[in-house]
Amino acid sequence: MPSRKKAAGRSGSQHAASRSRPRPQARVPFRDAAPQPAAVRITVNGTGYEFLADRDLPCNMTLAALLREKLGFTGLKVSCDEGACGACTVLLDGRAVLSCMMLAVEADGHEVLTIEGLPADDPVIRAFAEQSEPGYGTALQCGYCTPGFVMTARALLNENPAPTLEEVKEALSGNICRCGCYAGIAQAVLRASRMIRERGGRP
Amino acid sequence: MKEPFRQRVARRHVGGYRPRIDGMEKASGRARYADDLTRAESFPGLLYAKVLRSPYPHARVRSIDTTAAEALPGVKAVLTYRDPEVARLKATSAGWTDGVDTVSYDRMMWKRYRDRRVLGDKACWVGDEVGAVVAAESEETAEEALRLLKIDWEVLPFVLDPLEAMKPGSPVIHPEIASGNVMPPDDIGGPDVFLDKGDAEKALSEAEVTVEGTSIHHNATQASLDPWCCVVDWKADRLTMWSNSYEADQSRMHIATMLDIPLNRIRVISSYVGGQFGRGDTGDQPFFLFTALLAKKTGRPVKFKHTRRESFHDTRQPAIYHGRAGARKDGTITALSFRCVGNAGAYADHSMFALKFAPVEVAEVALAHVPNVRFEARGVYTNKIPGCMMRGVGNSQLNLILGHIVDLLAEKLGLDPLEVALKNFGHECGGLPDKSLAAVLQAGAEKIGWKEKRHAPGRGPVFPPDGRRGVGFSCHPGWHAEWQEVRRGEVQVRITLNPDGTVTLDAPTVETGTGSNTCNVLGCAEALSFLDLAPEDIHWVQMVDTDTSVKDCVQTDSSVSYLQSEVMALAARELKERILERAARKFDAAPADLDVSGGRVFPRAQPARGIAVRELLLEPDLVPITVTRSRRPPGDKTGVPFFATFAEVEVDTGTGKVRVLHLAMVNDCGTVMYASGAEAQQIGGQCMGLGEALSEEIVYDRATGVPLNFNWIDYTIPTMADMPDIDPVLLEVWRGNGEYGACGIGEGTVTCTPRAVLNAVYNAIGVRIDEIPVKPEKVLRALGKA
Repeated sequence: MPSRKKAAGRSGSQHAASRSRPRPQARVPFRDAAPQPAAVRITVNGTGYEFLADRDLPCNMTLAALLREKLGFTGLKVSCDEGACGACTVLLDGRAVLSCMMLAVEADGHEVLTIEGLPADDPVIRAFAEQSEPGYGTALQCGYCTPGFVMTARALLNENPAPTLEEVKEALSGNICRCGCYAGIAQAVLRASRMIRERGGRP
Repeated sequence: MKEPFRQRVARRHVGGYRPRIDGMEKASGRARYADDLTRAESFPGLLYAKVLRSPYPHARVRSIDTTAAEALPGVKAVLTYRDPEVARLKATSAGWTDGVDTVSYDRMMWKRYRDRRVLGDKACWVGDEVGAVVAAESEETAEEALRLLKIDWEVLPFVLDPLEAMKPGSPVIHPEIASGNVMPPDDIGGPDVFLDKGDAEKALSEAEVTVEGTSIHHNATQASLDPWCCVVDWKADRLTMWSNSYEADQSRMHIATMLDIPLNRIRVISSYVGGQFGRGDTGDQPFFLFTALLAKKTGRPVKFKHTRRESFHDTRQPAIYHGRAGARKDGTITALSFRCVGNAGAYADHSMFALKFAPVEVAEVALAHVPNVRFEARGVYTNKIPGCMMRGVGNSQLNLILGHIVDLLAEKLGLDPLEVALKNFGHECGGLPDKSLAAVLQAGAEKIGWKEKRHAPGRGPVFPPDGRRGVGFSCHPGWHAEWQEVRRGEVQVRITLNPDGTVTLDAPTVETGTGSNTCNVLGCAEALSFLDLAPEDIHWVQMVDTDTSVKDCVQTDSSVSYLQSEVMALAARELKERILERAARKFDAAPADLDVSGGRVFPRAQPARGIAVRELLLEPDLVPITVTRSRRPPGDKTGVPFFATFAEVEVDTGTGKVRVLHLAMVNDCGTVMYASGAEAQQIGGQCMGLGEALSEEIVYDRATGVPLNFNWIDYTIPTMADMPDIDPVLLEVWRGNGEYGACGIGEGTVTCTPRAVLNAVYNAIGVRIDEIPVKPEKVLRALGKA
């Protein structure tokens, strides 16, 4: 089990999320290069976790696998496992990233927010759950893509609290909903945007 | 704000616009799917299974040396086709492991085509499960073990094209079933010419006008986001399986028969499933069996899960349809004749459902007034991915030619194609024009602006620089009225009225996204309106567990949304009687002298003496009232409602790109059970239909038989940016039997979209394209530019 401690600010260097994905057999030359296992510190939903690279955190483990399998944040889904569907989207320092396309060790020193870290009354969650306006259908059916859409929408609204429909479509076009609830999803995001503004801009 | 639909009969709950009951659970990420429930943390000692998949389109395993794989640290078991517990497993057909009904092995639907082995020595497509399966401490170790298997393959010649496969001398794929790859006729589908009413040839030769055309439907795949997944734990004499199968009871039946275990020693648990779309039609369901055998061999729980690549295991059945029609000058169709070749791919599965069963249903309910009708179809084995039971099975392929014929005929006669459809299509229970079809076509035409926008082919205004616009439509009969669901057998529900007046509803069906769970709760609240319950007072039991649930209603055919509500109406009546019996003791009166209304039970003669039902139930013994009811859908024919898709497109004649500007989806539902859910199905269906029409296609390397795009980068599913404005229109015109007289609509919503788009493309550019998906190169070729 990873050791847990309260978040104590960022450690390590900031670096952009890599979009490359480890090949199953790729050997990361970590063990040879570093005789002392390096500490990897990741903050998830406000809680700090510390791992030893290649000991309790394999260097080829994706961020998605760490979050789901090791830490139990199963809201995010691994569906395509190659960055095409967005179901694994989480926020890294407030920006949407595809956790299946990023190594867990790359999150060293960063703050990760999964859907479990959103407050229960988050306006995006509420808007997705409640969407039923005539003419647009619901914002979810099977629900498998929903956490990814919610997190992508959350990132959009963090950056742009009052997006137009076109901006919503652009921002969410990296996510796939096979049930095809796109019309309902767009309505939900626009409604969440209104809810946030009605609260005086507080998310 | 768009306009809500109008109810024919005002109801309190059924037909409402409201959030889904699982909205918050799913939107917050709390909903648990199979992969979430089966993490290693919950299953100490969990092992992971991986199955060998053929790299060749057609090959036989001569031998497998497992020594190196078994010696790999972390490998706990290797099973091959030679192991007796594997070799003794009976051959199956997906007609058994996927169906609307729970049936025994002997009653499986397509007995003639038992062409699947659980782990055979023969591979029939690239990706086929074959030969060996491994259980190891991690997925990576299991994959490594597969690489260490030393396999002596006998590589066989292969064939991908069904017309090639029909020729003499072609490689034969299942010689024991089809000596020339053409699947032999069977009892259910009937002969090759499976429908022959009147004399179509004679009528065609005597017709005032005739038209003919070809339509080729392609191999889109279901692409559920939630890959197949199961964990099997088999300890002592008890087997438990968690899975994302959409049919818990049938899975149990399947396991019981194949592994020879009594039903009561098997427990199947199904939770939320991330999309179905017909993907159950696959012999891959035997993965339940080899996972179980590995669990038995190792004494540990074993998990098997598809990768995204492996999730490409089934498609819509590609079909080449040739159609001919004869008509009088006024547009009355006198003859229809269709010939079809379906590419079944490597295994038969439900091929005859798509090729014969579905067209027979359509002929019965839409072509009843055409005097001469002939249908001929052949299913052909090839070395491609098996294809059949995708959403809209068989109907999508047939609609592509039917809508083509209507458009061709209308053009030749100088008529509006809406008029041709109205003049001819209807079921035997009603006259012409069909009221449902008339309402559907009128609503769609209004939404799309048919009168203003429809013009002579290729003669519309130019939208600079190279844009040409056009409109098209296609219509189809529904196929999920209650009388068409008789083969399901009895549908069961159990309603428990708790001592505090709340309700626990066991209307088991695996929630795959269709919204039938919300329909169930609305139906229950409606049926129990005498208790004055809100939908929130009803708890819908989400998990299907064969140990505790009544039989689950298989989540197919879009009809679960109303089938269980029909049973609930009966159960509610019984529940009311039971309340009255209990109240009779309390009031010292005969039940017939009492009544329940507004949540109160009272003597009819003295309503003021009444008490709240809750008060009655909170008597000292606190026994809930539980009612279990079953009902077989009645078979009295009532016809079906119609539906239609209307499309407006813009074709760029410079690049060949087709942009869909607007879609209108009109469904007559009989009764709308849940308006927001029904509209979500209508809109979602357009998304899948548009994928099939424009972009989705599995591409093969013809030289090697290897599929090239088993991933979601190269297999392109529409995203939000690809979708036009969609108008969902719900109508209540037709009516079936029962309390609601509804009809499933979700499955059919994909059916008309490709043809509506193709007809709109023709209207835009004046050149016909016969094959979907309509990619830019096909448009340019049709325009003579490539």
